[in-house]
Amino acid sequence: MSEGISTLDKIYQGMYIAVLVILAVMLFACLIRAVRGPRIADRIVAVNMMGTMVMVMIAVLSLLLKEGFLVDICLIYALVSFLAVTVISKVYIGVYAEKRQAVKQGAEGDNGEGNKEGDDLHGNS
Amino acid sequence: MEILEWVKLAVGGALLLCGLIIFLIELYGIFHFRYVLNRMHAAAMGDTLGISVSLVGLMIFSGLNFTTLKMMLIVVFLWIASPVSSHLLARLEFTTNENLKNHCKIYKNLADLENEIKEERGEEAGGEEK
Repeated sequence: MSEGISTLDKIYQGMYIAVLVILAVMLFACLIRAVRGPRIADRIVAVNMMGTMVMVMIAVLSLLLKEGFLVDICLIYALVSFLAVTVISKVYIGVYAEKRQAVKQGAEGDNGEGNKEGDDLHGNS
Repeated sequence: MEILEWVKLAVGGALLLCGLIIFLIELYGIFHFRYVLNRMHAAAMGDTLGISVSLVGLMIFSGLNFTTLKMMLIVVFLWIASPVSSHLLARLEFTTNENLKNHCKIYKNLADLENEIKEERGEEAGGEEK
């Protein structure tokens, strides 16, 4: 009876470690996408994906080490990852709109207020 | 009782493997598609389906306790949060890309798109009948 339980434990441990290794390899591939991505949205998508994989890794680790509190860390990781994507995209949209406004004003000089259409296109976030 | 343990191992392992396969498909999609708005489609799949399937597998392993409840909370939170972040990323791409017309067709108002879809469907139905 006790030998059966120990083989089960061994199988569980081997499976957890295999899952962790596979996820680590996939994480590395995600990192390649994040470095190579031509546009900034590519990079944010890849980082978001990495966050998801890390969440699964932390959950597996909590079962492997039999520590319940690691799942709390996983939950906090989900919250922070979502917050990071939201804040980065909002800030980047704001920076882009500011830059565009500055370029337009520089090009038009003192032609007056001829940039209302641009405001309609990009101002309403 | 020991058979029950083995059944638990088999079911949970199968679900965890399914989750890993979905992550693999997501990774393939990320490298296969050529543009961000297409890649986002593949990436959102792993955010919801991949993590939920693999966490359901882990829930079956851990049994019925608070860890399971927390894992379910993670899945529910990601179901709510992932569409929002995808929407924000699509908005970022739409706002900052100067030459979006090279990648996809843009409709000024929704009625044009609906008319086009209707026409395509009508043509398909007519072709099938003949």
